[in-house]
Amino acid sequence: MKIYNALLAIFFTLISQIATAGYTLPSYEKFTLKNGLTVILMEQHEVPLIDVNIVVNVGAIDDANNAGLSYLTAQNLLLGTKHLSKTQLDQQIDFVGAELYSTANLEFSTIGASFAVKDTDNIMNILRDAVLFPRFDETEFKKHKSRHALQLTQRKESPRSVVNQYFNRLVFGQNGYGAVTSGDQESIKSLSLPLIKQHHSKWYKANNAAVIVVGDFETEVMKEKIQQLFSSWSSATPDLQQQDIKKTPHASSPQVLLVNKGDARESTFLIGGKGIARNNPDIVGLSVINTILGGRFTSWLNDELRVNAGLTYGARSRFTSYSHDGTFTISTFTKTETTIEAIDLALKTYQRLWQQGIDSATLTSAKAYVKGQFPPKFETANQLADLLANMYGYGFDESYINTFEQQVDSLTIEKSRQLINTYFPKENLQFVVIGKADEIRKALTKYGKITETDIKKSGFNIQ
Amino acid sequence: MRFVKAFALVCALLVANTSFATNVEDIHTFTLKNGMQFLVLEDHSIPNANMYLFWKVGSRNEYPGITGLSHFFEHMMFNGSKKYGPKMFDRTMEAAGGSNNAYTTENLTVYTDWFPAASIETMFDLEADRIANLSIDKNMVESERGVVTSERSTGLENSNFRAISEEVKNAAFRAHPYSWSVIGHQSDIDNWSLEDLKRFHKTYYAPNNAVVVIAGDVTVAKVKSLAKQYFESIPAQKPPRKIHTVEPEQKGERRAYLHKASVTTPNILMAFHVPETQHEDYYALDILSDILSVGDSSRLQKSLVNDKQIASSIFTYMPQSIDPNLFYIYAVAAKDINAQVLEKSVIAEINSIMREGITAQELQKVKNTKLVNFYREMSTINGKANTIGSFQMYFGDYKKLFSAPQDYEKVTVDDVQRVAKKYLRKANRTVGVLSSQEDSSNEDL
Repeated sequence: MKIYNALLAIFFTLISQIATAGYTLPSYEKFTLKNGLTVILMEQHEVPLIDVNIVVNVGAIDDANNAGLSYLTAQNLLLGTKHLSKTQLDQQIDFVGAELYSTANLEFSTIGASFAVKDTDNIMNILRDAVLFPRFDETEFKKHKSRHALQLTQRKESPRSVVNQYFNRLVFGQNGYGAVTSGDQESIKSLSLPLIKQHHSKWYKANNAAVIVVGDFETEVMKEKIQQLFSSWSSATPDLQQQDIKKTPHASSPQVLLVNKGDARESTFLIGGKGIARNNPDIVGLSVINTILGGRFTSWLNDELRVNAGLTYGARSRFTSYSHDGTFTISTFTKTETTIEAIDLALKTYQRLWQQGIDSATLTSAKAYVKGQFPPKFETANQLADLLANMYGYGFDESYINTFEQQVDSLTIEKSRQLINTYFPKENLQFVVIGKADEIRKALTKYGKITETDIKKSGFNIQ
Repeated sequence: MRFVKAFALVCALLVANTSFATNVEDIHTFTLKNGMQFLVLEDHSIPNANMYLFWKVGSRNEYPGITGLSHFFEHMMFNGSKKYGPKMFDRTMEAAGGSNNAYTTENLTVYTDWFPAASIETMFDLEADRIANLSIDKNMVESERGVVTSERSTGLENSNFRAISEEVKNAAFRAHPYSWSVIGHQSDIDNWSLEDLKRFHKTYYAPNNAVVVIAGDVTVAKVKSLAKQYFESIPAQKPPRKIHTVEPEQKGERRAYLHKASVTTPNILMAFHVPETQHEDYYALDILSDILSVGDSSRLQKSLVNDKQIASSIFTYMPQSIDPNLFYIYAVAAKDINAQVLEKSVIAEINSIMREGITAQELQKVKNTKLVNFYREMSTINGKANTIGSFQMYFGDYKKLFSAPQDYEKVTVDDVQRVAKKYLRKANRTVGVLSSQEDSSNEDL
């Protein structure tokens, strides 16, 4: 069983309302090795698979002038270990159908693996070696870097894959959560192998990391294995400190970032502003309200822009949260000629939060929806390993899971009004529009001061 | 696809002989008097369940003038029926804690409902109403044309594969309906009539043209009684006409070219005619696809992406298919590599398999990987429902899922070399190039 359901039995009775069962995170063991390494073990026995995430507290916010450094460091860990060349490593991983991956986000880096139980020793050895004893081979480094440089340009082929990055830059500026995780053409030029080695030896320390294992194992056996593999990992003194994030003030004026894409057939846009931090106590209540505004098919935004007006394939809204701050965005796309019509309709629909507010039938429906859709989010070892990685990386605890239902249930119309007034950005909205600039520039001026750039320009600099 | 949530493609899978929780006996089947088939799998790991309705209709059932209609119809199924009028399908489902999506392929239209198990009766009520009593409202049709136009446009804007595959399919097939994209031609989207839609629903959304899969926290007895109560009275229809068109054998290479200014480096898409999924060569071809491109140690990844730095990314793709279809190889050039060099390099790798074959180790690797991927797929109730249903539709029998180990095990290194020689030949291929360079220049004059 993935999510315990205290009242399972009542699901078999004929009740008209959705059963209000309390979900709790499956039990797990969390402890610290002598070297300061955090270890989290959760058994899940449905299929003979194991998922491991090693999370290190370093991300793009720590890259300073070397945008892309955390990301490229994480990627280089998989290009061979002291025992295995890249070719040997790839062969060993692929032969048993395992998956090995690494990435970094704004705040932390993750190296992970998914494998069959019978391959535990072999794959966990490789994973340990990748994190602690990477090969850092010059030839593989160069090849990887040139592929990465090309991918940075290729990402710009698709407005959808870069629009959020422009938005974060507009809201947070160049540093903090405005940092570009993957770097840009200019910044990666100076990322050398010695710099990556230095980054690795500074940040990849036992007392700055967690090893998370979820799947088909016995905790006592796995404990010993982790001890054996990771107890020699050195720690840092004093404790490492990540870049301090200063809370960005709310925007003082409405702004439009217009990103020209010469061959665009449609406009892709985001509207919004600042949101909330990941540990905000109102995050669950806000997710219910956002479900009504733009978080499900019958949401106001999708209903107006797609179902009623036929302007787009989909319109939605979301909160994106980090440890200390976050964004709120409305997102959609429409053909170039209907850009203004779609933006106006999105804005008008958004205003309903304040003008009409939420009625009780809609609130009841949204509550049933978020509760009904909750259990499948944490069904597999892989999903649970990611949840535990996020809990460690973003610093929130399982009360988010364990009190989810209760928090959903306790949201009233009055409380939702308070949350709307407190958290949804109402004035000085920020806009990013990617499209054919010549055809929409003039009309966009009514939303705020326009700054313009071209999607082909390297990176995400606004000025 | 109905909504922006992407649904992962299901690959062919391999199951272990031993030690797996789901066995062939765990799947319960029954057929209603009107011919509607049910497959049920009880799984009580979470208090949720799903209902997957597989309809045997896709773009292969279309013809010029109504291309894209099966996908459009997928959208129309949400736009109101007798009991639940416009918008009420989604509103009722979401208020019951459920969500849904749908997808259309060349062969099938699949509707997916995900819900707390306690809401199962609501799902039956909603589905039965739109199958038996869909109302095709003129205004809804008009606004849905706009939605589908946006879906088509955003696919072409954001996906290079979508853009070039339209051209390649069109060149590879000149007779069979696989010739056009699932989303269809824009002029057909703009012009099909209410009559077209009504006829389509009557013909294809008949209970004898569907397989329903339900997996999750349910009991077989309960599902059976609800199925009878809600679905059995829907009348069967005359079976749809057979798709008799056979694509004539291709006897020489075909080429397509597409200009798109925002493309960074050239993309190429090769497509080779291959037989349908039920053909005996399916398993060997499926293994060949993985040997070429799955994992960094695969032929194309290792040689072209890593060692020689000719490609920046590569994948191969062979869709499951009712009629003979295509085996695709997609490659994006590395910096400063032109389309010709990329194409030649891909062909050199194929030729090497045709000449020297593959190793036993490569073959074993693919077999091992399929087993682990099977566990990954079967770790969710949704993966289970989709996999079981897909096997029923494409292999004609869900039991093939459980005999797949033997079917893959039988494949030898010689089989893989044989199918490479038989199908990945020049005369059987279509090559598409997507590039930022226009296909015309002064040198043409």
